[in-house]
Amino acid sequence: MSAARLAGGRLGLVLAVLALLTAAGALVWGATADRAPTDQERATAIASGLRCPVCTDLSAADSSAPLARQMRTEIRQQVAAGVSDEEIRRGFVEAYGPSVLLTPPADGLGRVAHLLPVLVLAAAAVGGAAVLVSGRRAVRGGGPGTAEPDHRSSTDRTLVDRALADLLKEEP
Amino acid sequence: MIRGGGRRLAALGGLAVGVALVALLLALGLTTDTKLAASPLSGHPAPAFDLPGLDGAEQSRIRLEDLRGQVVVVNFWASWCTECRVEQPELNATWQRFRDAGVVVLGVDFQDAPGDARQFVATSGASYPMVVDADSSTALDFGLRGVPETFVIDRDGRIVERFVGPVTAATLGDRLEPLLDGGRP
Repeated sequence: MSAARLAGGRLGLVLAVLALLTAAGALVWGATADRAPTDQERATAIASGLRCPVCTDLSAADSSAPLARQMRTEIRQQVAAGVSDEEIRRGFVEAYGPSVLLTPPADGLGRVAHLLPVLVLAAAAVGGAAVLVSGRRAVRGGGPGTAEPDHRSSTDRTLVDRALADLLKEEP
Repeated sequence: MIRGGGRRLAALGGLAVGVALVALLLALGLTTDTKLAASPLSGHPAPAFDLPGLDGAEQSRIRLEDLRGQVVVVNFWASWCTECRVEQPELNATWQRFRDAGVVVLGVDFQDAPGDARQFVATSGASYPMVVDADSSTALDFGLRGVPETFVIDRDGRIVERFVGPVTAATLGDRLEPLLDGGRP
Protein backbone atom coordinates (compact mmCIF):
# COMPACT_ATOMS: atom_id res chain seq x y z
CA MET A 1 0.00 0.00 0.00
CA SER A 2 1.45 3.35 -0.92
CA ALA A 3 1.78 6.22 1.49
CA ALA A 4 -0.35 8.40 -0.79
CA ARG A 5 -3.25 5.92 -0.63
CA LEU A 6 -2.96 5.74 3.13
CA ALA A 7 -3.08 9.55 3.40
CA GLY A 8 -6.06 9.61 1.03
CA GLY A 9 -7.91 7.08 3.21
CA ARG A 10 -7.29 9.15 6.30
CA LEU A 11 -8.55 12.29 4.57
CA GLY A 12 -11.72 10.43 3.58
CA LEU A 13 -12.25 9.34 7.17
CA VAL A 14 -11.85 12.91 8.44
CA LEU A 15 -14.31 14.17 5.84
CA ALA A 16 -16.83 11.44 6.74
CA VAL A 17 -16.60 12.31 10.46
CA LEU A 18 -17.02 16.00 9.65
CA ALA A 19 -20.09 15.28 7.52
CA LEU A 20 -21.61 13.13 10.29
CA LEU A 21 -21.00 15.83 12.93
CA THR A 22 -22.53 18.50 10.70
CA ALA A 23 -25.59 16.34 10.08
CA ALA A 24 -26.00 15.63 13.79
CA GLY A 25 -25.64 19.31 14.64
CA ALA A 26 -28.19 20.27 12.02
CA LEU A 27 -30.62 17.67 13.36
CA VAL A 28 -30.29 18.95 16.94
CA TRP A 29 -30.65 22.54 15.76
CA GLY A 30 -33.64 21.70 13.60
CA ALA A 31 -35.32 19.76 16.38
CA THR A 32 -34.99 22.51 18.98
CA ALA A 33 -34.93 25.79 17.08
CA ASP A 34 -38.58 26.19 16.20
CA ARG A 35 -40.03 24.41 19.19
CA ALA A 36 -41.25 26.19 22.30
CA PRO A 37 -39.83 24.63 25.49
CA THR A 38 -42.18 22.30 27.35
CA ASP A 39 -43.50 23.29 30.78
CA GLN A 40 -41.09 20.84 32.39
CA GLU A 41 -38.13 22.36 30.51
CA ARG A 42 -39.21 25.85 31.51
CA ALA A 43 -39.61 24.84 35.17
CA THR A 44 -36.20 23.16 35.20
CA ALA A 45 -34.57 26.20 33.57
CA ILE A 46 -36.08 28.54 36.17
CA ALA A 47 -35.11 26.26 39.07
CA SER A 48 -31.55 26.02 37.70
CA GLY A 49 -31.22 29.79 37.97
CA LEU A 50 -32.42 29.99 41.57
CA ARG A 51 -30.31 29.33 44.64
CA CYS A 52 -31.51 26.66 47.07
CA PRO A 53 -31.99 28.81 50.22
CA VAL A 54 -30.80 26.19 52.71
CA CYS A 55 -27.77 25.04 50.68
CA THR A 56 -24.38 26.53 49.89
CA ASP A 57 -24.17 27.49 46.21
CA LEU A 58 -26.49 24.80 44.91
CA SER A 59 -29.39 25.53 42.59
CA ALA A 60 -32.96 24.67 43.43
CA ALA A 61 -32.87 22.26 40.50
CA ASP A 62 -29.85 20.34 41.81
CA SER A 63 -30.62 20.16 45.51
CA SER A 64 -32.49 17.34 47.19
CA ALA A 65 -33.32 19.50 50.24
CA PRO A 66 -37.07 19.49 51.01
CA LEU A 67 -37.21 23.28 50.64
CA ALA A 68 -35.66 23.05 47.16
CA ARG A 69 -38.13 20.31 46.29
CA GLN A 70 -40.98 22.59 47.33
CA MET A 71 -39.45 25.39 45.23
CA ARG A 72 -39.54 23.09 42.20
CA THR A 73 -43.16 22.16 42.93
CA GLU A 74 -44.18 25.81 43.19
CA ILE A 75 -42.33 26.70 39.99
CA ARG A 76 -44.06 23.83 38.15
CA GLN A 77 -47.45 24.95 39.48
CA GLN A 78 -46.87 28.55 38.44
CA VAL A 79 -45.60 27.54 34.99
CA ALA A 80 -48.74 25.43 34.54
CA ALA A 81 -50.85 28.39 35.67
CA GLY A 82 -49.36 30.50 32.90
CA VAL A 83 -47.16 32.79 35.01
CA SER A 84 -44.20 34.19 33.06
CA ASP A 85 -40.62 33.13 33.87
CA GLU A 86 -39.76 36.67 34.92
CA GLU A 87 -42.71 36.89 37.30
CA ILE A 88 -41.89 33.53 38.89
CA ARG A 89 -38.32 34.66 39.51
CA ARG A 90 -39.57 37.99 40.88
CA GLY A 91 -41.72 36.13 43.42
CA PHE A 92 -38.67 34.40 44.87
CA VAL A 93 -36.62 37.60 44.81
CA GLU A 94 -39.36 39.34 46.81
CA ALA A 95 -39.10 36.75 49.57
CA TYR A 96 -35.35 36.05 49.49
CA GLY A 97 -33.76 39.11 47.93
CA PRO A 98 -31.66 39.25 44.74
CA SER A 99 -29.12 36.80 46.22
CA VAL A 100 -31.55 33.99 45.37
CA LEU A 101 -30.64 34.50 41.70
CA LEU A 102 -27.60 32.45 40.72
CA THR A 103 -26.86 34.79 37.80
CA PRO A 104 -26.33 38.28 39.20
CA PRO A 105 -28.64 40.92 37.69
CA ALA A 106 -26.97 43.12 35.06
CA ASP A 107 -27.26 46.31 37.13
CA GLY A 108 -25.60 47.72 40.22
CA LEU A 109 -22.65 45.72 41.56
CA GLY A 110 -23.85 42.71 39.55
CA ARG A 111 -22.73 44.49 36.39
CA VAL A 112 -19.10 43.97 37.42
CA ALA A 113 -19.56 40.22 37.02
CA HIS A 114 -20.89 40.73 33.50
CA LEU A 115 -18.29 43.30 32.37
CA LEU A 116 -15.12 41.96 33.98
CA PRO A 117 -14.58 38.95 31.67
CA VAL A 118 -15.07 41.17 28.61
CA LEU A 119 -12.62 43.76 29.96
CA VAL A 120 -10.02 41.11 30.81
CA LEU A 121 -10.33 39.57 27.33
CA ALA A 122 -10.01 42.97 25.67
CA ALA A 123 -6.97 43.86 27.79
CA ALA A 124 -5.36 40.50 26.96
CA ALA A 125 -6.00 41.03 23.23
CA VAL A 126 -4.52 44.54 23.30
CA GLY A 127 -1.53 43.35 25.35
CA GLY A 128 -0.92 40.38 23.05
CA ALA A 129 -1.11 42.54 19.95
CA ALA A 130 1.32 45.05 21.48
CA VAL A 131 3.84 42.31 22.26
CA LEU A 132 3.57 40.88 18.72
CA VAL A 133 3.96 44.29 17.06
CA SER A 134 6.94 45.29 19.20
CA GLY A 135 8.58 41.90 18.57
CA ARG A 136 8.22 42.26 14.81
CA ARG A 137 9.54 45.82 14.95
CA ALA A 138 12.53 44.66 16.98
CA VAL A 139 13.37 41.97 14.39
CA ARG A 140 13.04 44.41 11.53
CA GLY A 141 15.01 47.18 13.28
CA GLY A 142 17.87 44.92 14.30
CA GLY A 143 17.05 44.82 17.96
CA PRO A 144 17.42 41.79 20.18
CA GLY A 145 17.26 38.58 18.24
CA THR A 146 19.65 39.60 15.45
CA ALA A 147 23.23 38.41 15.50
CA GLU A 148 24.92 41.75 15.53
CA PRO A 149 28.23 41.62 17.37
CA ASP A 150 28.63 43.88 20.36
CA HIS A 151 31.37 44.22 22.91
CA ARG A 152 29.90 41.50 25.03
CA SER A 153 29.93 38.91 22.30
CA SER A 154 33.49 39.85 21.39
CA THR A 155 34.62 39.22 24.98
CA ASP A 156 32.75 35.94 24.86
CA ARG A 157 34.53 35.04 21.69
CA THR A 158 37.90 35.82 23.22
CA LEU A 159 37.06 33.61 26.17
CA VAL A 160 35.97 30.77 23.91
CA ASP A 161 39.07 31.09 21.78
CA ARG A 162 41.26 30.98 24.85
CA ALA A 163 39.45 27.93 26.23
CA LEU A 164 39.78 26.15 22.90
CA ALA A 165 43.46 26.92 22.76
CA ASP A 166 43.86 25.49 26.28
CA LEU A 167 42.05 22.34 25.27
CA LEU A 168 44.18 21.86 22.20
CA LYS A 169 47.29 22.39 24.26
CA GLU A 170 46.31 19.61 26.68
CA GLU A 171 45.91 17.06 23.93
CA PRO A 172 49.01 15.00 23.29
CA MET B 1 17.15 50.26 28.71
CA ILE B 2 15.04 52.99 30.29
CA ARG B 3 12.14 52.29 27.90
CA GLY B 4 12.36 48.58 28.67
CA GLY B 5 12.32 49.30 32.40
CA GLY B 6 9.27 51.54 31.99
CA ARG B 7 7.44 48.84 30.09
CA ARG B 8 8.26 46.28 32.73
CA LEU B 9 7.03 48.70 35.40
CA ALA B 10 3.78 49.24 33.47
CA ALA B 11 3.28 45.47 33.11
CA LEU B 12 3.93 44.94 36.81
CA GLY B 13 1.56 47.78 37.66
CA GLY B 14 -1.16 46.28 35.46
CA LEU B 15 -0.64 42.91 37.08
CA ALA B 16 -0.81 44.46 40.55
CA VAL B 17 -4.05 46.27 39.69
CA GLY B 18 -5.53 43.02 38.33
CA VAL B 19 -4.52 41.01 41.38
CA ALA B 20 -5.86 43.73 43.70
CA LEU B 21 -9.18 43.77 41.80
CA VAL B 22 -9.58 39.99 42.02
CA ALA B 23 -8.63 40.06 45.73
CA LEU B 24 -11.19 42.80 46.36
CA LEU B 25 -13.98 40.91 44.59
CA LEU B 26 -13.02 37.71 46.41
CA ALA B 27 -13.06 39.48 49.78
CA LEU B 28 -16.42 41.05 48.97
CA GLY B 29 -17.88 37.71 47.93
CA LEU B 30 -16.53 35.86 50.95
CA THR B 31 -17.63 38.40 53.53
CA THR B 32 -21.15 38.99 52.22
CA ASP B 33 -23.23 36.44 54.10
CA THR B 34 -26.39 36.04 52.05
CA LYS B 35 -27.94 34.11 54.93
CA LEU B 36 -27.85 37.09 57.28
CA ALA B 37 -29.09 39.68 54.83
CA ALA B 38 -32.05 41.68 56.09
CA SER B 39 -35.36 40.26 54.95
CA PRO B 40 -36.51 41.95 51.75
CA LEU B 41 -39.99 41.52 53.19
CA SER B 42 -39.35 44.03 56.00
CA GLY B 43 -41.94 46.77 55.76
CA HIS B 44 -44.03 44.70 53.36
CA PRO B 45 -47.29 42.89 54.08
CA ALA B 46 -46.67 39.45 55.57
CA PRO B 47 -47.48 36.60 53.16
CA ALA B 48 -50.92 35.18 53.91
CA PHE B 49 -51.17 31.66 55.31
CA ASP B 50 -53.82 29.26 56.48
CA LEU B 51 -52.20 26.37 58.34
CA PRO B 52 -53.54 23.37 60.29
CA GLY B 53 -52.81 23.08 63.99
CA LEU B 54 -50.12 20.71 65.22
CA ASP B 55 -52.69 18.73 67.22
CA GLY B 56 -54.69 18.11 64.05
CA ALA B 57 -57.91 19.55 65.50
CA GLU B 58 -59.94 21.66 63.06
CA GLN B 59 -60.35 24.50 65.58
CA SER B 60 -56.56 24.77 65.84
CA ARG B 61 -56.26 25.89 62.21
CA ILE B 62 -54.94 29.46 62.01
CA ARG B 63 -55.33 32.02 59.26
CA LEU B 64 -52.92 34.95 59.54
CA GLU B 65 -55.62 37.22 58.16
CA ASP B 66 -57.83 36.45 61.19
CA LEU B 67 -55.13 37.88 63.48
CA ARG B 68 -55.18 41.31 61.84
CA GLY B 69 -55.28 44.04 64.50
CA GLN B 70 -52.97 42.07 66.76
CA VAL B 71 -49.19 41.98 66.80
CA VAL B 72 -48.08 38.51 65.67
CA VAL B 73 -44.78 36.83 66.45
CA VAL B 74 -44.29 34.03 63.91
CA ASN B 75 -41.59 31.59 65.00
CA PHE B 76 -40.44 28.89 62.57
CA TRP B 77 -39.06 25.90 64.45
CA ALA B 78 -38.48 22.15 64.28
CA SER B 79 -38.05 19.42 66.87
CA TRP B 80 -34.67 18.43 65.36
CA CYS B 81 -33.32 21.96 65.83
CA THR B 82 -31.26 22.38 69.00
CA GLU B 83 -31.35 26.16 68.99
CA CYS B 84 -35.16 26.00 68.83
CA ARG B 85 -35.09 24.01 72.04
CA VAL B 86 -32.86 26.67 73.59
CA GLU B 87 -35.08 29.60 72.61
CA GLN B 88 -38.38 27.87 73.47
CA PRO B 89 -38.62 29.16 77.09
CA GLU B 90 -37.95 32.70 75.82
CA LEU B 91 -40.92 32.52 73.46
CA ASN B 92 -43.05 31.06 76.23
CA ALA B 93 -42.07 33.96 78.50
CA THR B 94 -42.90 36.46 75.73
CA TRP B 95 -46.31 34.87 75.23
CA GLN B 96 -47.04 34.95 78.99
CA ARG B 97 -45.97 38.57 79.24
CA PHE B 98 -47.73 39.98 76.19
CA ARG B 99 -50.73 37.73 75.52
CA ASP B 100 -53.12 40.13 77.27
CA ALA B 101 -51.63 43.15 75.50
CA GLY B 102 -52.67 42.11 72.01
CA VAL B 103 -49.73 39.91 71.00
CA VAL B 104 -50.06 36.43 69.51
CA VAL B 105 -47.04 34.15 69.55
CA LEU B 106 -47.39 31.51 66.87
CA GLY B 107 -45.13 28.53 66.35
CA VAL B 108 -44.82 27.18 62.79
CA ASP B 109 -43.43 23.65 62.64
CA PHE B 110 -41.04 23.31 59.71
CA GLN B 111 -39.94 20.09 57.99
CA ASP B 112 -40.65 17.83 60.91
CA ALA B 113 -42.13 14.47 61.81
CA PRO B 114 -45.55 15.16 63.42
CA GLY B 115 -44.90 12.76 66.28
CA ASP B 116 -41.54 14.34 67.14
CA ALA B 117 -43.06 17.82 66.94
CA ARG B 118 -45.91 16.96 69.31
CA GLN B 119 -43.48 15.40 71.74
CA PHE B 120 -41.31 18.52 71.59
CA VAL B 121 -44.30 20.69 72.51
CA ALA B 122 -45.34 18.33 75.30
CA THR B 123 -41.89 18.16 76.89
CA SER B 124 -40.98 21.82 76.44
CA GLY B 125 -44.29 23.06 77.84
CA ALA B 126 -44.94 25.50 75.00
CA SER B 127 -48.31 27.07 75.70
CA TYR B 128 -48.81 29.26 72.61
CA PRO B 129 -50.57 28.02 69.45
CA MET B 130 -48.68 25.78 67.04
CA VAL B 131 -49.36 25.16 63.36
CA VAL B 132 -47.70 22.91 60.77
CA ASP B 133 -46.23 24.05 57.44
CA ALA B 134 -46.17 20.53 56.02
CA ASP B 135 -45.17 21.40 52.44
CA SER B 136 -42.88 24.34 53.43
CA SER B 137 -44.84 26.67 51.16
CA THR B 138 -45.28 29.24 53.96
CA ALA B 139 -41.57 28.99 54.71
CA LEU B 140 -40.80 29.80 51.07
CA ASP B 141 -43.23 32.73 51.11
CA PHE B 142 -41.44 34.12 54.17
CA GLY B 143 -38.02 33.63 52.58
CA LEU B 144 -36.95 31.20 55.28
CA ARG B 145 -33.34 30.05 55.21
CA GLY B 146 -33.36 27.82 58.27
CA VAL B 147 -34.71 27.43 61.78
CA PRO B 148 -35.16 29.10 64.12
CA GLU B 149 -36.31 32.28 62.44
CA THR B 150 -38.76 34.71 63.99
CA PHE B 151 -40.83 37.38 62.28
CA VAL B 152 -42.66 40.21 64.01
CA ILE B 153 -45.83 41.35 62.23
CA ASP B 154 -47.48 44.62 63.27
CA ARG B 155 -51.19 45.30 63.71
CA ASP B 156 -51.52 46.25 60.04
CA GLY B 157 -50.11 42.91 58.93
CA ARG B 158 -46.67 44.22 57.95
CA ILE B 159 -43.41 42.43 58.70
CA VAL B 160 -41.43 44.82 60.88
CA GLU B 161 -38.63 42.57 62.13
CA ARG B 162 -36.90 39.35 61.35
CA PHE B 163 -34.63 37.48 63.74
CA VAL B 164 -32.33 34.81 62.33
CA GLY B 165 -31.32 32.34 65.04
CA PRO B 166 -32.60 32.07 68.61
CA VAL B 167 -34.30 35.10 70.15
CA THR B 168 -34.43 36.14 73.80
CA ALA B 169 -37.49 37.39 75.66
CA ALA B 170 -35.65 40.67 76.31
CA THR B 171 -34.86 41.38 72.64
CA LEU B 172 -38.31 40.39 71.55
CA GLY B 173 -39.91 42.48 74.31
CA ASP B 174 -37.92 45.57 73.28
CA ARG B 175 -39.20 45.16 69.74
CA LEU B 176 -42.81 44.50 70.75
CA GLU B 177 -43.33 47.35 73.22
CA PRO B 178 -43.19 50.24 70.72
CA LEU B 179 -45.64 48.40 68.48
CA LEU B 180 -48.16 48.27 71.32
CA ASP B 181 -47.72 51.71 72.90
CA GLY B 182 -48.67 53.79 69.90
CA GLY B 183 -51.20 51.27 68.67
CA ARG B 184 -54.94 51.23 68.76
CA PRO B 185 -56.65 49.86 71.87
